[in-house]
Amino acid sequence: MKRLKTDVVVIGGGTTGIGVLRDCAMRGYKTILLDRADLAQGTSGRFHGLLHSGGRYVVTDPESGRECAAENAIIGRIQPEAVERTGGLFVVTPKDDPAFGDKFLAGAAKAAMPVEEIATSAALAREPRLNPGIKRAFLVEDGTVDGWQIAWSAAESAKQYGGQALPYHKVTQVHHLNGAVTGVTATDLKRGETVEIDCSFILNCAGPWAGQVTEMAGLPPVSVIPGRGIMIAMNHRLVNTVINRCIPPADGDIIVPLHTVCIIGTTDHPVTDPDHLQVPANEVQQMFDSGEELLPGFRSARALHTWAGARPLIKDDRVATSDTRHMSRGMAVIDHSTRDGVSGMLTIGGGKLTTYRLMAEHIVDAMEDQLGSHHPCRTADEICPGNQAGHNYLITHRLKDREADRLESPIICECELMNRQMALDLFKSNPLASFDDLRRQLRLGMGPCQGGFCSARLAGLACQEQVMDAGRATGLLKLFLEHRWIGLWPILHGAGVRQAALDAWMLQGTLDVAHIPSPARVEPDPISDAPIDETWQSSGQKENQ
Amino acid sequence: MTDTIVVGAGLAGLAAAIRLAQGGHKVSLLTFGLGGLPLGQGSIDLLGYTHPAGSSHPTADDQAVADPWAALPGFIAAHPGHPYALLGTDTIKASLAWLAELLPDWLLPSDGVNHLVPTALGAMRPTLLIQPTMSWPSDAKSVAVIGFQQLKDFFPELMAKNLTQTAQVSAKGYLLDLPARDQEVDSSALRYANAADHPDFVSRLAAMIKATIEPADLIVLPAMLGLASLDPWRSLESTLGTRIVEAHLAPPSVPGLRLNQALTRLAQASGVRLIIGSKVIGYEGEGDCLRGVTLHQAGRDQFYGADQFVYAGGSFESGSLTVDSHGLVHESLFHLPLVGLGGDRPLIDGDYWSDQAIFKVGVATNAQLAPINPDGQIVWSNLRVVGGLLPAAVRWTEKSGDGIAVSSAFAAATDLLNQTSPKKDN
Repeated sequence: MKRLKTDVVVIGGGTTGIGVLRDCAMRGYKTILLDRADLAQGTSGRFHGLLHSGGRYVVTDPESGRECAAENAIIGRIQPEAVERTGGLFVVTPKDDPAFGDKFLAGAAKAAMPVEEIATSAALAREPRLNPGIKRAFLVEDGTVDGWQIAWSAAESAKQYGGQALPYHKVTQVHHLNGAVTGVTATDLKRGETVEIDCSFILNCAGPWAGQVTEMAGLPPVSVIPGRGIMIAMNHRLVNTVINRCIPPADGDIIVPLHTVCIIGTTDHPVTDPDHLQVPANEVQQMFDSGEELLPGFRSARALHTWAGARPLIKDDRVATSDTRHMSRGMAVIDHSTRDGVSGMLTIGGGKLTTYRLMAEHIVDAMEDQLGSHHPCRTADEICPGNQAGHNYLITHRLKDREADRLESPIICECELMNRQMALDLFKSNPLASFDDLRRQLRLGMGPCQGGFCSARLAGLACQEQVMDAGRATGLLKLFLEHRWIGLWPILHGAGVRQAALDAWMLQGTLDVAHIPSPARVEPDPISDAPIDETWQSSGQKENQ
Repeated sequence: MTDTIVVGAGLAGLAAAIRLAQGGHKVSLLTFGLGGLPLGQGSIDLLGYTHPAGSSHPTADDQAVADPWAALPGFIAAHPGHPYALLGTDTIKASLAWLAELLPDWLLPSDGVNHLVPTALGAMRPTLLIQPTMSWPSDAKSVAVIGFQQLKDFFPELMAKNLTQTAQVSAKGYLLDLPARDQEVDSSALRYANAADHPDFVSRLAAMIKATIEPADLIVLPAMLGLASLDPWRSLESTLGTRIVEAHLAPPSVPGLRLNQALTRLAQASGVRLIIGSKVIGYEGEGDCLRGVTLHQAGRDQFYGADQFVYAGGSFESGSLTVDSHGLVHESLFHLPLVGLGGDRPLIDGDYWSDQAIFKVGVATNAQLAPINPDGQIVWSNLRVVGGLLPAAVRWTEKSGDGIAVSSAFAAATDLLNQTSPKKDN
């Protein structure tokens, strides 16, 4: 068992939690963040990648629209490398009411959001795949953003101020004594170790899982209604500008060009269990139909991967719970001292990735109110490490890098231009990483072949460089293939089927991966793993030998 | 002379074309791509694994097949819709014997049992007909697995460690710094094979191996020891005085390219007219008689008429079978009726390791491999469907793809030759 002491524990390693870690650390609090899985593996890594201009909300939720517009500018300043300045278009398709465009303009003016109506011919010249029948087009300052990069660069910044992020640490107990928070018990899932952390403040940033945390504290559960939305990544960037449908928020109303793909989203269905999100066949068809409306021929384009995310919406009694899209996205901070008589604990919900920094500022302000101390929030002023002012992401960056080092390091993942050295560097800095942990940082296996070629290479490399033994490398390879399949089978058609068959020929046919023995368990399961007991620990160790 | 068109230049298409041409037909082989041989492992599989009855999960419960001929009757009984059930053991046996005779330089005579060939990941993969370079000596106790820093698809350390379990040997991995071409850090096995076709590369490789490895009973290298011939392999073996086995790795497959090259040359030598890089995009026919196909060529589309047709377009991996965005499955050229769509399982499910039902979908045929509709009526009486288009097999898990390709092509060609043999006498 390990014992740590800190001022603040942040529970939840999504962008909100990491933003809170950074803010607390910058204000001088000793802070530890815990997440049962990898950083930004939940909702923050399962959205469409839109950096909102605010346009989506200016009509229905002007307050959100205003916040988005302001935060968009701040993120572009403090984490420019994670942002691509694609611009966005709101288009009125032949099926939509052109009058909504007037409401849109009026809302934008009220929210002080820059917008310009352009000729449909100009929109078509900019994005030739757009439906040629569009009736109006509005140019806005949408961008795209990599949720994982936002998380890591904010975590790096927090680290410089002494903040500590501990992924794969599952909180199992929240302790309070005489109405005040005293600490948490967590399980270090990768090392199989119990960690006790003494603290005087807990900030619950678990998003869709926030209710589970308050329950662990023995408090009446915070009512979170996870809103499930599916996304489909299409191979290639069918558009280079974010394309929004100029209608009230609806299913399949946006296509976002992100890295080498473009992503269509999304749907919205209230669910009870954020751990098991389905991608229903009817919603897939809905996305294809909507895509067809914005970009004719969409159904014939290649669908690459699908996933579902859970919106972290805090229940708002003003609207029915069956319609989560219209619940306020405005963030809510819940103070458990007034609500439940336990001081030193706050829960935050709602919000969206674009406003993650602002959410962090709010909850840390609320914490300081309770503590009776006040430090200015400086998260909007300081650029995060690994970023260079004004230097935004460009899709061609990796190509440029590989051109430069092509005679030094072979390319392991051709689809995403990831080379051997990149994999090695990350393995060395994080020897316990699974292939999925690497994927979130390096993007390997996320391109057209979906791991068909690169996954076996990665296993070979990891073993060759003695990062891990053959059993773990083989096991991680199998696990990676299983995990990739989760996002493949619900959308498998067209060229995707062809690729899946080719990959099966290579990995199962030629290399016969299925018949190589490997340990049954090579990675912890953040969802089902229980607190440590002796049996679990000993079997975990045996497998690692 | 009978005009026959074969569509598709994989193992099935090449085998059908050669057999028909050798039987006296005037054969045109039309193909868009290169066929699947350069993507496969370059040995001839018959049947490598069976699942226990009722299991569709090909990992834990699988049984490796040691003697495929002994296993085949039981397999056929358990899989009534499988191409092997349609063709029967005698035809399958005759077809593989015929193929082995066609390729005496490239395939060892079969001893009737499966060989185990190592893969880059360290599996020991069962297969029936092997190239001379793939013969794993059963008395090998110590193995040196040798790869190249510049060849990313071969993993000596991982392979060696896994071989200790799968082959019950002691094995050690070595990584040599020997580029296939000067300064190249990223080379395919094909580049290495091209290099190995030059004797000085083999000499350098031999010297480097001698200087690097500890004594071992057996050396395993990635399959790259020669494309033009197997002389590089022979010369390395004799120089080192140690037996050498080539392991399977991801494509491009050098052993697959060897077979592809040999069969393509045989086809040309037998008089087959090879038209490559052009896609068949349409067809014409009357009643149940196909008259010809339209080939999409540079400049214009060209109609090719013939008396008989063999369709060897492959399966989902080659695009002959497709799934549209609504989830409907199609045969993309002749729009032939499919079977395997109405099972009790969904076509695709979320278990990566299960045999997905979609990949068992194929063209419905009668015992002569003519396509039939759901009433059992023949769609085109002068068309035969062979290879990956046939239903009910998951070829990569069964390790049955080559056997299905060769035996169906052999049976179709034999049938077509028999039908036309009276005409030949005129």
